[in-house]
Amino acid sequence: MSPQVIQTRLGIGACIAAAFLIFVGIPGWVSSPSNVQNIVLAPTFWPYVLSAMTGLIGLGLILAGRRTGGAASDEEVVETDGLGWPRLVALALIMALTMYALPRLGMVWTTMLVFAATAFLFRTRHRVTALICAVLIPLALYAFFAHVAGVGIPQGNFVRLP
Amino acid sequence: MSLFDSLIAGLSLVASFEAFFALFAGICIGVVGGAIPGLSATMAVALTLPFTFSLQPITGILLLLGVYKGGIFGGSIPAILIKTPGTPASSATILDGFPLAEKGEAGRALGMALWASCTADLISNLALILFAGWLASFALSFGPPEFFALILFSLTIIAGVSGESLLRGALSAMLGLLLATVGLDLVYGTNRFTFGDPNMMGGLNFIAVLIGLFAIPEIIAMAWNPTAHLGKARALGKTKVTFADYKRSFKSIVRGSLIGVFLGSIPGIGAAPSAFLSYSEARRKSPNKENFGKGEIEGVAASEAGNNGVAGATLIPLLALGVPGDVITAIIIGAFMIHGLQPGPMMFVLNVDIIYGLFIGLIVSSVFLFIVGSVAIKGFKFVADVPKRILMPAVLVLCIYGVFAVNNNIFDVGVMFVMGWVGYVMMRHHVPAAPFLIAFILGPLLEDNFRQAMLMSGSDPMILLRGPITWFFWALTVITIVAIIRGIARKAPAT
Repeated sequence: MSPQVIQTRLGIGACIAAAFLIFVGIPGWVSSPSNVQNIVLAPTFWPYVLSAMTGLIGLGLILAGRRTGGAASDEEVVETDGLGWPRLVALALIMALTMYALPRLGMVWTTMLVFAATAFLFRTRHRVTALICAVLIPLALYAFFAHVAGVGIPQGNFVRLP
Repeated sequence: MSLFDSLIAGLSLVASFEAFFALFAGICIGVVGGAIPGLSATMAVALTLPFTFSLQPITGILLLLGVYKGGIFGGSIPAILIKTPGTPASSATILDGFPLAEKGEAGRALGMALWASCTADLISNLALILFAGWLASFALSFGPPEFFALILFSLTIIAGVSGESLLRGALSAMLGLLLATVGLDLVYGTNRFTFGDPNMMGGLNFIAVLIGLFAIPEIIAMAWNPTAHLGKARALGKTKVTFADYKRSFKSIVRGSLIGVFLGSIPGIGAAPSAFLSYSEARRKSPNKENFGKGEIEGVAASEAGNNGVAGATLIPLLALGVPGDVITAIIIGAFMIHGLQPGPMMFVLNVDIIYGLFIGLIVSSVFLFIVGSVAIKGFKFVADVPKRILMPAVLVLCIYGVFAVNNNIFDVGVMFVMGWVGYVMMRHHVPAAPFLIAFILGPLLEDNFRQAMLMSGSDPMILLRGPITWFFWALTVITIVAIIRGIARKAPAT
């Protein structure tokens, strides 16, 4: 992506977000009592000001994008094997499944699976080490947080740890 | 309470095995975290934060300060050995450190980096002890209008941490300010963007947002390209730094430390500009100026003194005014808050024992840094050998435990994941995350003080200009904005 494309995309995104907040988000999701005497004290005042400023910055980014050269950035994020997007989707899926599994399987078992899944997703060359770490690291963290820090780590519905 | 009484109170708090062990452990974690390219001192501090919950406030904060100090030094190790700064602050160290490593003198460069870092750290800590109390006593006379003007000025920090584009930094800050409005309204208690979910009524958890923004994007980036990190570490060589080297570079070290103290005490400047300024001053004044950039040991000393001189000084605005001096101190503010402490002038009245305990701990930290740094230089090969594709899953698991532990709430883990993707999109579009975090912290304070000032004055905006203190901060804000605009205008014709 060239700096021009980045600036323009960000600018358009900021303007859309600002317009959405001003016309939909703030009227719909920010409650303000009807008896507020002064606008500057209203709960909606600050979000409106910030949204308007976001819109202005968006316009600034669009203008700056038009003035910036179109040459490609040399800091472009390089993907080597063409599987970057599938891996990103897989990682998003792992995160979504983590949220589902945490209250059901418990944190220790879920994080063991998360560790193993991400290590294999990252194509680790140390598979045995990854599996050992996948078991030991969650257990060590459980021991610290549950027994030293006194945090109530979720245990899940199946196997409970001491 | 007299200075002596305060010192005794601080000593009684900090003189325990736990406190010094936490400091020592923090420095070890920091050096290792800073030395692993891609992990960074910021992420090391963020990941250590959840481990402080169960500790005494002084122990937990000393642990984090240890990570901070160790991380800044640790960043110089990969900068010298593999030309990859572990932290942005170590960028200037590459200029002469890497050429020295190429000549087979990496051990000498690392030794000088350590000596310069420890000297600068000590000078910076002394500056903190001398100036923070004085500034805090002055700030005791502040009311909401003064704090509003101060925080507004502090938001100009964003210019310093915006990187290549101020507009992108400003956009990031606006997103942070907007996210900070989530929760119940401060005055009327009505809902703002809570969607009726009780989890969101207290606002989004600071630690979840912070770890999501700084740690998770690195993990996502690894999914995009799992082999991007592969590099080769360099041998240390047999040459070691000598006292003659240190003596020859001493002036540059002291000058760099003072530059670091001055720039560090101004919120937002950060360690990287300080390191480069110190380096350029050393080059300008050195009789060997033609050697700079080709492997001059004084260049390594100057840049390391410049970046470590900042470490103690950034705590001056943090402790005295409650304003973070840089991103890492913004995270450390979170640790204070978790332990029920509010950094700022009142802390010098209510928690003077903690303040002086921290001062004593910081002085000791320079000695610990020297010990840990000496070992770390020899052991870096082992640190560099930790497989990144094992490290990152471990970081992910640590993030899940750490974020959950803040409130015992799985919702916070979800917030962290979402913020991680936001942070990754920002990273891909070169939008810096630091302004987001700083604005997220300062946003509620800014709004709260603004509305309190308006309530005090019956909505008369002139209260925001009510006296010399507010005039001073408004003037500083205007001067900073003018300087930023001039900087942009100068850069524009050049590009």
